[in-house]
Amino acid sequence: MIRSGHRLCWSRWPLWLALAFLFAFVLAPLALLAVGTVQGPDGFTLDAWRELAHDENALQQLRASLALGLAATTISLLCGGGHAWLTLHRGVPGAVWLAPLGVAPLAVPPIFIAMGLADVSDTTGFWPCAWLLGVAHAPFVAVLAARGLRAIDGRAFESALLLRGGARAELWLLRAILPELLAGCLLAFLFTVADHGVPEFLTVKGKTWHTYAEGIFSRWTRRAVGTTFAELQSPLVAALPYVAGLGCLLYAALRLRAAAPDRGVLRPLPVRPLGKLRWPALLLPLGYLGFGLALPVVVLARWVLGSAQKLEPMSLQFAQQSYQKAVSEGVPDLLHSIVLAAGVAVLVLLLALPLARASARRWPWLELLVAIPLALPAILLGIGLVRTYSDHFLLRWCGDFYDTWGFAACGYAARFVPFAALTLAAHVRRLPIAAEEAGALVPRSATVRALRLHVRPLAASSWAAGVLVFVLALRELDLAVLLPAANATAVRRLANAVHFQHEDWSGVIALMILSIAVLVPLLPAILAGRKLSSLD
Amino acid sequence: MSLQVRIQALHLRRAGFTLGPLDIEVAASTRLAIVGPSGSGKTTLLRCVAGFERVDGGSIRIGEQLVAADRVHLDPALRGVGMVFQDGALWTHMTALQHLTFAAPGLGKAAALALLERAGLGAQAHKKPPRMSGGEAQRLGLLRALAPGPGVLLLDEPLRSVDVHQRDSLVTLLRELTGERRTTTILVTHDRDEALALADELVVLCAGKLVEHGTAAALVQRPRTAFTAAFLLGAACLPARRDGAAVVTPFGSFPAPAEPGDLRHVLLPGDVAVAADSTANATTTARLIAATPDATGFHLRLALGDQVVHCRHDRALPADTMVRLVLNGPARLLPWQAPAALT
Repeated sequence: MIRSGHRLCWSRWPLWLALAFLFAFVLAPLALLAVGTVQGPDGFTLDAWRELAHDENALQQLRASLALGLAATTISLLCGGGHAWLTLHRGVPGAVWLAPLGVAPLAVPPIFIAMGLADVSDTTGFWPCAWLLGVAHAPFVAVLAARGLRAIDGRAFESALLLRGGARAELWLLRAILPELLAGCLLAFLFTVADHGVPEFLTVKGKTWHTYAEGIFSRWTRRAVGTTFAELQSPLVAALPYVAGLGCLLYAALRLRAAAPDRGVLRPLPVRPLGKLRWPALLLPLGYLGFGLALPVVVLARWVLGSAQKLEPMSLQFAQQSYQKAVSEGVPDLLHSIVLAAGVAVLVLLLALPLARASARRWPWLELLVAIPLALPAILLGIGLVRTYSDHFLLRWCGDFYDTWGFAACGYAARFVPFAALTLAAHVRRLPIAAEEAGALVPRSATVRALRLHVRPLAASSWAAGVLVFVLALRELDLAVLLPAANATAVRRLANAVHFQHEDWSGVIALMILSIAVLVPLLPAILAGRKLSSLD
Repeated sequence: MSLQVRIQALHLRRAGFTLGPLDIEVAASTRLAIVGPSGSGKTTLLRCVAGFERVDGGSIRIGEQLVAADRVHLDPALRGVGMVFQDGALWTHMTALQHLTFAAPGLGKAAALALLERAGLGAQAHKKPPRMSGGEAQRLGLLRALAPGPGVLLLDEPLRSVDVHQRDSLVTLLRELTGERRTTTILVTHDRDEALALADELVVLCAGKLVEHGTAAALVQRPRTAFTAAFLLGAACLPARRDGAAVVTPFGSFPAPAEPGDLRHVLLPGDVAVAADSTANATTTARLIAATPDATGFHLRLALGDQVVHCRHDRALPADTMVRLVLNGPARLLPWQAPAALT
């Protein structure tokens, strides 16, 4: 006889629903893709896998991806880690303003930076691509490095300073935040090698070299010309070991992040002024923010004024026309994008809350399961969703769902749920279990206890996670290419419009997207009149 | 409302640690302290009563209700217990007033405010825990536990995070509130002073086993085991060897007690003095570690084998002096239950 009252009923069904969602929109598509590669017309076959082992082209693309990932991650480490170190610990001029901006490039879709770069320079190929993706993903390193620096007890650093001198103390500091730095670098690497849109954009405009993610997509789009089973399955065969490798990296990143505990700071890390070097040092944060934030904004603003139409001088009158065209051509798509992104953010939070609690309190392995979409290149997740849900049987069963915004929202939510679930799980772990146990003694219904004691303390983190998901959904391009309803999002239309020389009104829409992506996270601080905390 | 707690043959095993079997009965309205060194299973036992741990065997009854046994586990919220946690474990997003009104649904706002006033927290009613001192937070923790009117109050080292100056007022408040409501109270601590200040009865635990259970006065004045004397009273436990009908200790040979088993020669503070002459009986030599002045003379700390012996003297002596000690009364020979023997 076990009498447990109604304590668990609130947490069980949202958790089971969230797990069912993960199964339907992540695991099942992935499993179907995997099964498809060995289930030939005549039964079980490993032909496609054998062919991949002898495919020199695939190996070359793999090498290109690896090289691109390593180069871009090094740039992320220098830009992101350097930005956090200089603004939080070495007190460069304007650190108070520069530190919060370190995370801002995350709001800029990498394709915008690519468009900006392509506009001001003809440089294309490996190094521009590496530089661009390195800067675009540097916020991962910056945020985690900042978290590491904040968790250092200032007195421990001062002890190292007294005992070993300045240079050794800085090395000690580097070692102390190494787990966070490595986790940030692994995330940056993961996002770089999984990116399809930017390398594709730069290789279309320049020299022909291809990454592995690009190769998977181009095989997928050309699979109809294949005749044998092996040719038809080659994109998926190529993708699956790739995803397994990325999954291992993701696991390492999560372990490293978890291995860096909040150390309970009694005294914050002291700022050590750089002296005469402070002005030269300022070049790094300015260069990073200039390339990651200012360049795309300036280029887009110039497009709006007519630069892409080779108008000299550019004029406000042209900007007015651009705006009018944007209102008629692009604003409906932008509104769709905003509604879709907001819906995705809400859906993701509803899924992430029970998943985060369960992974933080009961089943640690669930965190890895939840994080799988991070290891999947979005393009592969999209392929999986399309293959699974465009199946005749499911189409009959689900009716028109496949073509609706609801399906697009579910696809996006599957992609972004790890961001919210991992953020919230980290917060749940920081909450004392004893406070929850004190709640278990209160004679209230389980639902009231859950809402007041479990959900309410996560309000701030939920807002942060929701905003992050909103911004990422607003800028998502890879999934938008594949999911039918998402074809009409602003970013997707923008990428098409740029190909057809509609930079004028595209610039207006892009600037609107950027404004929304930057303003929404700032809303609480603006409304509450609160000072921005750096790199949060 | 006041409830009796009956623990019978309770045991549980967690990661290499075994608690029990334990039989403890706490009469209604009694204040019981469970004391013992770290890792002795005090907090685990308290958590079993609260319902945060499932027992592997035996039973727990609160009042007439069976709350835990093999295949029985009553939800913590249905047991009628309140608990004060070590570091408060307050809800950081709620104000003090919200803590009470949420914890006790039937308690009106006015009654909650009155309770806060009573505990000296009237001015903190609308503050959240991060803005309170350690003492204020622990008072709030106590009020939160008592507000729903539990039949049993569980206290897990409630004074640990409170500074010395606030301890007395918190002890007074605790005794007043539990006394008025006649609430059965079970306290867990490894601090002897805390236990004696708050409890009428003591249970001594070591390595998951019960060593002694009795009134606080009896255990302090007449400890039945050397472990209790050492833990509760800071006694030195000198080796004692049986030799036929006698027991040999560093102070000489004494008649052996009738009970079999290992013994220790227990020295409570005041049991020894510095020998005035070298011809006295029952003496031994110890090395002086330090002599610290107090209101009436000097307090000597002496090393005797691997034990530290305390005694008083009227003048200071230099450190490392070899001092001759003499027994003030009969030798106190008590059975020794080493932790290994207890397991």
